Amino acid sequence: MSSIECDQFIARPPSVVWRALTEPDLMASWWARGDIKPVVGHRFTLDMGEWGMQPCEVLEVEPEKLLRYTFAEGALDTTITWRLEPEGQGTRLFLVHDGFAPDSMPLRRMGGGWPKVLAHLARTTEADRG
Amino acid sequence: MDVFGALANPVRRQVLEALRDGPLAAGELAGRFALSRPAVSEHLAVLRTAGLVTEEPRGRHRYYHLAADPLAEVHDWLHPFERYWRSRLRALRDFVEEDL
Repeated sequence: MSSIECDQFIARPPSVVWRALTEPDLMASWWARGDIKPVVGHRFTLDMGEWGMQPCEVLEVEPEKLLRYTFAEGALDTTITWRLEPEGQGTRLFLVHDGFAPDSMPLRRMGGGWPKVLAHLARTTEADRG
Repeated sequence: MDVFGALANPVRRQVLEALRDGPLAAGELAGRFALSRPAVSEHLAVLRTAGLVTEEPRGRHRYYHLAADPLAEVHDWLHPFERYWRSRLRALRDFVEEDL
């Protein structure tokens, strides 16, 4: 019912972007630490800092094209989908974060929680980058 | 009940989706969801209280229209997530382009 969709051009081929999405050390450099593996059924946790460790499970893998996993089971109960498309010499990366189902969680209660943390995170990371 | 409570029910979400294509009478909605008329009326009453549908009498029938304005609240709730992801995607781009 509710989803977030964003895309980003990255001036590197899909094979390189794929590594940043699927190798734990690389993923930790731009997002969060977690024992991710591009294998369907693989369960892993993401260290989301102030939100704690979030359980995830890989749902779909098409190497260098598509990666889908559940995100924050039991809390947000959402799904994250990464899609990579070659664009010129680089990659257009599409993100869909969906499944924000109002029945999975009392949204209002979270209204004061996650978004505040997220806003804080966004400010911090933007400040880091200058 | 507010918009979040109204949306917490899957049947009510389906009703809203059905109304996206145009107004429907209560009877038509009941047929679509294989629900009893009273059950549909109850869901419609909740949606009306939340301001998500409006009622229009036409002859012997009542038609229901989607009123999307309250959904803005849901959008507002999601907005911080969107900002978060935009900043993460920029961080990913910078990292990949500079370090890989």
